[in-house]
Amino acid sequence: MIIEKVNIENYIPQRFPFVMIDNLIHANESGFLSSFLVKKENIFSENGYLTEPALIENIAQTCAAGFGFIGQQKNEGPSIGYIGSISKLTVHQLPEYGTTILTTVEITNTLGNIFLIKGKNTCNEKLLVECEMKIALA
Amino acid sequence: MNREEIVATTKRFLSEEFEVDETLIEDQKNLKDTLELDSLDYVDLVVVIEENFGFKTSGEDFKSISTFEDFYNFVERKLAAMA
Repeated sequence: MIIEKVNIENYIPQRFPFVMIDNLIHANESGFLSSFLVKKENIFSENGYLTEPALIENIAQTCAAGFGFIGQQKNEGPSIGYIGSISKLTVHQLPEYGTTILTTVEITNTLGNIFLIKGKNTCNEKLLVECEMKIALA
Repeated sequence: MNREEIVATTKRFLSEEFEVDETLIEDQKNLKDTLELDSLDYVDLVVVIEENFGFKTSGEDFKSISTFEDFYNFVERKLAAMA
C-alpha cells in the first residue's frame, strides 16, 4: 500500500461523496493498481450493486492518484488530469455491496502530456469494466 | 518496406483510423488539416504508426512533419535506421 484511504484526497481532486477509490496499492511509470470497497451508501449504488458510472470513474481516479503519486515522487506539484476520451468500453458485470474492487491501469502510450491507458476493474478475479482512456495532464 | 509500400500502408491505416477518403491523402497536402487532427488524435496516430511500422514516435518527431510527403520521409528514415 503506497497511499492509504485516509490520505487519498491529497492526490486526487475529487471530494466526498465523489471519491471512488480507497487505496493506491502500486504505482510506477507503466501503470497503477488501486482498491475500493463497495458500500451501499455510495451515490452510484443501486439495487445491491455499484453501477457503471462509478466503475468508470474508479478507473479515472486510479489514474489521478497514480499520476499524483508519481508527480510527488519527482517533487512536482499535483497535476489535474482531464479525460479526453473513453473508448472500447465493455461492462461485464457489477460488484455487490461489501465487495472490494481491484483496479488496474496500464499506460500504453504517451505523447507529451497526453496518456493513453487501458483500465479494468475486477472483483473476486471477475472482470467488471474495461476500457481505454486518453488522459490529458494539465 | 520500400517507398511505395510505405505510402500504400500509410494511406490505408490513416483512412481507416481517421475516416478520410484515401484519395484526399496527397503528398503535398497538410497532414494535420487533411486528417482534422486535434492534440488527442495524435496519440491515436502514435498507436497506429507503431502497429503498422513497428517503431515508437514522440511529440518531437511530429514537429518536422507538415505534409504527407514529410511523413513518408520520416517513416523511411526510421525504418532505415531500424534495418
